[in-house]
Amino acid sequence: MAQYTEFDRETDVVENQRVIVSSGIFSAGAGSLTAFYTSSLQGNQSASFVNVYDKAEGDATREVQFACGFASFGGSGSLGNTTKTATGNRETAALYRQFANVLLPPGTDKFTFTNFASASEDIFFVVMNRARQREKMDPGNWELALTATKNVRLIDDSGATTTPTVNQAGRVFNVVSGSIASGTAATFRTAANGGALGNFYPDLGIIILDAAHMEGSASITTTRSTNGFDNTQREFFKQIAGGAYFAARREEEVTSTMYFCRANNKEFNFSNNPTFTTGSAGQFTQATFEGDPKTYITQIGLYNETDELLAIAKLSQPVLKSFSREAVIKVKLDF
Amino acid sequence: MGFLDNTSITVDAILTKKGRELLARGENAFQITKFALADDEVDYNLWDTAHPNGSSYYGAVIENMPVLEAFTDETQVMRYKLITLNKTTTQMPTLNIGIGDTTMNFDTNTVITANTTNGSDTSFSFTLSDTDIAYISADGNFSAATIATQQTQKTATVTGTQATLQPRSLRVAKSAKLTVEGNNTGAISVITLTTAKDPSFTT
Repeated sequence: MAQYTEFDRETDVVENQRVIVSSGIFSAGAGSLTAFYTSSLQGNQSASFVNVYDKAEGDATREVQFACGFASFGGSGSLGNTTKTATGNRETAALYRQFANVLLPPGTDKFTFTNFASASEDIFFVVMNRARQREKMDPGNWELALTATKNVRLIDDSGATTTPTVNQAGRVFNVVSGSIASGTAATFRTAANGGALGNFYPDLGIIILDAAHMEGSASITTTRSTNGFDNTQREFFKQIAGGAYFAARREEEVTSTMYFCRANNKEFNFSNNPTFTTGSAGQFTQATFEGDPKTYITQIGLYNETDELLAIAKLSQPVLKSFSREAVIKVKLDF
Repeated sequence: MGFLDNTSITVDAILTKKGRELLARGENAFQITKFALADDEVDYNLWDTAHPNGSSYYGAVIENMPVLEAFTDETQVMRYKLITLNKTTTQMPTLNIGIGDTTMNFDTNTVITANTTNGSDTSFSFTLSDTDIAYISADGNFSAATIATQQTQKTATVTGTQATLQPRSLRVAKSAKLTVEGNNTGAISVITLTTAKDPSFTT
């Protein structure tokens, strides 16, 4: 008489199965966005980034997909100056230093892109929303179009790079001109042939673009005011909205444990379900169950040694169990 | 010629609240060692021995029933477990707990003793669905630690051959379910317990 069956850990349990799961990075698992929205007032007076939404203002279901903005080592384009003679928070400078501290090795304070000798003082950035990105962006599977004519299409060169640079922020790939529209990355201009347009940090979901290149190729108007708010992040957003195409995937490593629940022919053929019996004496509701009982499995409960229910799985439809039938149910538990 | 059906049943499990709690605690507190099967959703009165298509269709209504997704509240799932008994069994184990639905007074403890008929249980799980109405103990000892723990829980389960309930002082009467389950047979009995208003409250 038993209601629990012990697992044989040698044969019934497969632990720590690691699987890489990729999916569309945007809300509801969408793989691409073709329309981009911001909040009407956000970033209009200060700050140097805007949150980008998938739906228009007023739609209660809209969610932040990513943030885009502008950062400057010297603080160009934001109020405040180095001599502290004017009010202002120097947001562009603060953001540049933050990105440098987070992404660059210690002792390096400016971004330098492949095949460019001088460091870049000004950058544009795209930072994926944490809830969209989850664990990391999927290298080689994103494309960002800029300008209404889509003449600037950005991808990373992970497909061409066998040894990505690994620094403080994890893997780093070059941002290059290309497209993934055909299903595989097609690079129009490599980093070795014309220089990288920026850096891509897949483990952090951050794309850093060289502002000087973007000004030329994507026609972004970058006024570099000293102690003046230029709203440059809006200019960058306009080019993203004009390009109307941002495709990306996210990656997650899921660790699973499989439990094989084996119900042998002689097991689990009776039920404590109140409809299984009738009256107070425990007699079967169905007379045909005497000598040949039938039960249905709908739930599998995973327990610890003290009979505490730790996990529960359900079948989509009841499975018949009897003395002439056995069942093996594989229960997958993701962590 | 047909093809053999070689599909296996694979299902995804979710953690219960207790599972999440133990996983968060760490220190190997989360250790799955066994499994049980249940059929909470099934009504065996739908087993139709008069089905016009014959015996293969007796369970057709049950077998084609879509099943609700799992709940994370461990007290709301795995209530009716499948058990292993001899093939010659003609009567299912039943529990006798001596009382039916009961109203308890604030200053009087209630002791519930369980016995199994048509089977044998060496211990029982007593689960009180709402500890707002009473504290529960297997040995009748309500230590400060036991009370402090149950004050932070919504449901409480104790294991033993009997349980003692100590009603709490309430401004208004309140009811909860007490589920008693035989730990070998899985036989269950459920009663409603009500704690009456503490008469010392005049308003």
